[in-house]
Formats: sequence, structure tokens, C-alpha cells
Amino acid sequence: MNPGDEMPQAPSDNSRALHPAVREARLVERIDALKAGLATVRAPAALEERLLRQFRDQKARSAAASRPRLWWMPPLALAAAIGVTSWIVRSIPPLAPHGPDAALAAEAGSGPFLALKPLDRIALEPAATVVTTQFPRALLAQWGLPVSPERAGEPVRAEMLYSPEGEALAVRLLD
Amino acid sequence: MAPWHMQPELTLLARMRQGDEDAFAALYRKHRDTVYRFALLRTGSAAAAADVTQEAFLHLITRPEQYDPSRGSIAAWLCGVARNLARRDSDGREDATDPADFAGDTEVPAGLVDPQSPMERLLSDETAEQVRAALAAVAPHYRDVLVLVELSEMSYAEAAQVCGIDIGTVRSRLSRGRAQLADRLSRMGLLDAPARAKEAS
Repeated sequence: MNPGDEMPQAPSDNSRALHPAVREARLVERIDALKAGLATVRAPAALEERLLRQFRDQKARSAAASRPRLWWMPPLALAAAIGVTSWIVRSIPPLAPHGPDAALAAEAGSGPFLALKPLDRIALEPAATVVTTQFPRALLAQWGLPVSPERAGEPVRAEMLYSPEGEALAVRLLD
Repeated sequence: MAPWHMQPELTLLARMRQGDEDAFAALYRKHRDTVYRFALLRTGSAAAAADVTQEAFLHLITRPEQYDPSRGSIAAWLCGVARNLARRDSDGREDATDPADFAGDTEVPAGLVDPQSPMERLLSDETAEQVRAALAAVAPHYRDVLVLVELSEMSYAEAAQVCGIDIGTVRSRLSRGRAQLADRLSRMGLLDAPARAKEAS
């Protein structure tokens, strides 16, 4: 419909002559007619599915935005792995060289193993065994370790590394 | 504070904001036709009305925090969003006008008359379609208030919220809008006879 074609330029004489109350009543009737016509109008059905899809997309975007950023996780995991590996490696008892420094370390408490035989010889032993034992502190003097005379009679706990033949290869003091 | 009767849909809104799709669907189904009909009368085009309706609800999805329950209903807010979208699509033609210029019997410039309505029949009922065409020739500022109060059955306060004006201005625009619509209908000969007599003839 083209209202421009149907709309006269001058108001109808009849409607101009109408009593204002009648004119108002007819206006209300026309508005009611439009209201009734509009009542059958519905939003296109396709809109709902489109909007629900957009709602889901927006929800996913919001969830992604609110999720904690995990960019720091790989470096942290790598650092943790390095730390744990380092700790494990350091916890393996090293074979300390035989000498005054080693002796001092031994006196300080349960430190590293002290080599009683040359290191290359110990390295060649295929099945050395660690045995926890206790012996008089004076025995340390036989291995060239310093022993204070006041404590020479006290027992000392130690871990001994033995060859399969029963030869003492290294010792670590536990006390 | 929002009135008690708004609590159910405010609950839906809160659930929607937490990502509840069913709550959004319920809000959409409740208000879709009101917004679409308003957009239809505002734009004069079914396609444009569908676009405006979609954009209005998309606004609800993406910026629900902009709705202030203390200022009115969700329906009024959505219609306000739809009105702004329709105004944006009209390229600001309406913003350059003063409603007072169109008071009384003054002819509305062709540029402000809904340009698409002559090309498209929107309503199946003949009388309703003629009244809609007459309404499309009413100045936009008055048309909005007429549509909101007379056809969408919103309160003056809600119409004021939608249009961003005070209630006194709603009253005056409604009065002038009705006068303009009566004039347009009169020019079309639609006030000459009662509705039933017209249909019978």
C-alpha cells in the first residue's frame, strides 16, 4: 500500500465537521484497530535461535576471560622439575676425596662418604654394599681422620661402603 | 528499589547474567513481541524491525549491567535501546528536528516520514494497515510516545524512560501526537464513519 497515493492533501469535510467527542471516539476506534492488528504480529521465529547462539558465544567468551591465565604454568613446571631433580642429585651421597678437608667435613657430622681407597678403584667395584655399623671412635685414627683424645673411647655410628670381598671402601659418620 | 512485581524478571535477569540460557530465553520470549512491534512501527520495515530487535536483545546479552531496575521495567529499557538503534539507522535525520515544528496540522517533511512504509505492507488487516500508514506520517517525536503509550500500553513514566524525557513532555507529546494522527486519518477519510460502518462499506 502506498499511503501517499491514498492520502488527500486536504482533510475531509465530513471529519472536519465532526463533533470533537465523535472525532475522539473514532480516533480511539482506529487506534484500537491498529492495536488489534499488531496483536497478531510476532517477532520472527528465527531470531530466537540466532540470539540463543549469540548468548552461548558470549557465555563462552566470558568464561574464557574470567578463567585464570595459565601462561606462567609451563615455566613454573620446568623450574619445579629442575629443582626436584637438583635436590635428588644432591641427596645422593657423593664420594669425597680422602684428605684433611674431608676429615673436617666428617667431624662436622653425617656428611659425605669419605673414600678409604682410591676413587678409581671404588668406581670399578661392581656391587659395593652400604652397611650401617658402630665402632670405637679411635678406629677413625687408623684411616687418618683426626680424633680428640677425650672422645676416643666413645662409640661412633657410621655407614660403611664395602666391596663384595668385605673390604672397606668408604665411610660416612652418622653422629 | 525496584517494585515487587518486577522481582520475577529481575531474578531471571540475575540468572541470565550468571550464564543461565533458559533465563535469557524466558526474558526473550516475554519481551520479544513488544520490542519487535515497537521496532516495526518505528522503522516501517519488517526486516529492519527484526534487525533492531536482534540488536536490542544482543545489547541485553552483552551489557546487562546498563539496565537500572530503579528507572523502569526491562521492556521499557529494551524499547529504549531499540529506539536508539532505529534512530541511529535513520542517520540522525530526526535529531535535527524540533518537535515543536510539527505541532498541530503542520505537514511533516517527507524525509521524516517513514520511507519504507509505502513500499511494504506490514499488517494483514486493512484498517490497521491504513492507521499504521497514517501513524508513520506523524512526526517521530510524537509517534514514539503514541506507540509506547497507546499501542504498547506503557505508563507515562515508562514512555518517559524510553524517550529520555520527563513525564510532562510525554503528556504534551501524546496530546499533539494524537491530534496529528487524527489529522492524518481525517485526510485519508478514515474518520468519516465509525469503524464498523467503514468495514461494512
